[in-house]
Amino acid sequence: MMSTATNSSAAAAAAAPLEISGLSITVQVDGESRPLLDKVSLSVAKGEIVGLVGESGSGKSVTSRSALGLFPGHAITTGSVVVDGVEVIGASAAQLLELRRTRASMIFQDPRSSVNPVRRLGDFLTEGLRARGVGRAEANRTAIGLLEEVGIRDPARAMRRFPHEFSGGMLQRIVIAGALSIGPRLVLADEATTALDVTTQAEVVALLKRLQAESGTGMLFVTHDLELAAALCDRIVVMYAGRVVETGAASAIFAEPQHPYTVGLLGSNPRLTGERATLTPIVGRPLALAEAPAGCAFRDRCPIAVPACATEVPALRPSRATEVACIMPGDEKAA
Amino acid sequence: MIFRLIGSRLLAAIVTMGVAAVVIYGSLRLIPGDPVSAITAGTRLTSEQRAALREKLGLNQGFVSGFTHWLGSVLQLDFGQSMVYGSSVNDLLAARMPTTVTLVLYAAALSLVLGLGMALVSATRPGIIDRIGLVVTSLSIATPSFVVALVLLGVFAVQLRMFPATGSGDGFGDMVYHLTLPAIALMVATFGLVARIMRATFREELVSEHVEVARSRGVARMDILRRHVVRNSVGPMMTITALLLAALFIGTAIVETAFGVDGIGQLLVVSIARRDFPVVQAISLLSVGLFVVTSTIADLALPFVDARVRAVGGLR
Repeated sequence: MMSTATNSSAAAAAAAPLEISGLSITVQVDGESRPLLDKVSLSVAKGEIVGLVGESGSGKSVTSRSALGLFPGHAITTGSVVVDGVEVIGASAAQLLELRRTRASMIFQDPRSSVNPVRRLGDFLTEGLRARGVGRAEANRTAIGLLEEVGIRDPARAMRRFPHEFSGGMLQRIVIAGALSIGPRLVLADEATTALDVTTQAEVVALLKRLQAESGTGMLFVTHDLELAAALCDRIVVMYAGRVVETGAASAIFAEPQHPYTVGLLGSNPRLTGERATLTPIVGRPLALAEAPAGCAFRDRCPIAVPACATEVPALRPSRATEVACIMPGDEKAA
Repeated sequence: MIFRLIGSRLLAAIVTMGVAAVVIYGSLRLIPGDPVSAITAGTRLTSEQRAALREKLGLNQGFVSGFTHWLGSVLQLDFGQSMVYGSSVNDLLAARMPTTVTLVLYAAALSLVLGLGMALVSATRPGIIDRIGLVVTSLSIATPSFVVALVLLGVFAVQLRMFPATGSGDGFGDMVYHLTLPAIALMVATFGLVARIMRATFREELVSEHVEVARSRGVARMDILRRHVVRNSVGPMMTITALLLAALFIGTAIVETAFGVDGIGQLLVVSIARRDFPVVQAISLLSVGLFVVTSTIADLALPFVDARVRAVGGLR
């Protein structure tokens, strides 16, 4: 583990911002082990936006937080999470601090609760840089520049103001500025636009995309909204019950979803263009990995399930333009 | 907005003091039968002495005029003459004030340091340490100060002879030495409540999302505790301190009596026993006044530590 830290600067130039392979997490709750993730693998290349899509309980937040070493309490973690050349699993406290201060940062869902309400915005914005040891004056200069970048008027004055003086959309821009302040190689956006209203959401998404493109950083965009992900991201990873069920280019997943769950996600969203169709919700409720049946976790809700689905967990295999974990991929018309 | 907050707090303080003044003055009139015989129970008085006493206590006037007359003097900080000591109540209080103020501040400092320290440890270390903390704070809340006083006297004054059993000492250093056991007795009986309430406040902040964000940014643990957890708990801390100071002042009645400390608390107990009404009224008014002043200061200071209060002009 020590060698990864010392070699990291040399390795960083070549390393992908995020490389998760075979990540499994099990937590102990009241003496019982409850699995959260099962052999999740995904990667984010430099300059790439990857969408991580799934319903609540699918493990998408747990997956994204693992990139910062923010594991749930009493967790047993196996597999590998490499951020910018640094292995997170088994990393020391000092290595994790270094990782969070210099390599990766996260934008959380609700800006109102992300920012300490009793401190000034300048304190929030410079906190990451100051933790790294950057001087106050330089950190302030960086923060003011970023505020300008994210479209806050009179940045110098905004530094001295308090969070409650800003709207949710403006505050999320400030949170984004805070996340970018450290010049991260990887940005994790965990439902970063979900708490905002639709027009604000569009603005913030556009801002994220512009800033990401300018800085060339990798981004993992976690959302439950597959259409939003398809519009923003280069690639998409769909999770269900703690497993990756489909992954591929955003356009391919949107045009030709192969997994019945991905099909269901798209079918349950209203379309503004194209022919009018009845919304078809996915029957049943989303499951966590701990309560999933043997075999394919989706089979109880799947319209095309056959007895063979119960025998084993399907592995990811290429099917047309995507990779999919289903024994009958692309067969949505069978229902 | 901020002026409305200040105005409403000051008005509340004045109303509280007014009601307290009516009750405290009224307690003299509420004595069943003739207040004079109640006050002088056991001693034979000539009718001239009796009449003089009635005159002195203002009992010949009606309630309203008696009250206004009394309030008039009180507002000029004149609490009258002690019926037992003969000297003015102001002199009696002034002579004892330094001792009691020192005791209250001493005990408050001990109680806050121990209470806040325990709260922080309990909040950040769930499990066995937190559970031990809960037991200790329960004991503190459940134990009356006179029991603690007796134990401290038995162990540290009588057995170990580390501290004096009575007296309040000469000079500041000696006074602090004499007041150590009384201050510890007050601390033991009060730090539990401080620890309990602040533990809940710290815990609430520790699980808040802005702390999670700070953690995700690699902010050092001590900085998170200082700039997020403790910083955001300053408001409740000020409120607790205000209530603690008032409670400790009341608590001196028992503790000063137990340790033979010649302070305001002991004067109150003695004066009640001897029915020295002017003194009792003055000390009662003083304790209400202290409560009103400390909690008003705490309320008015809140906008300075929480900008949201400044904006809405009210409590969260």
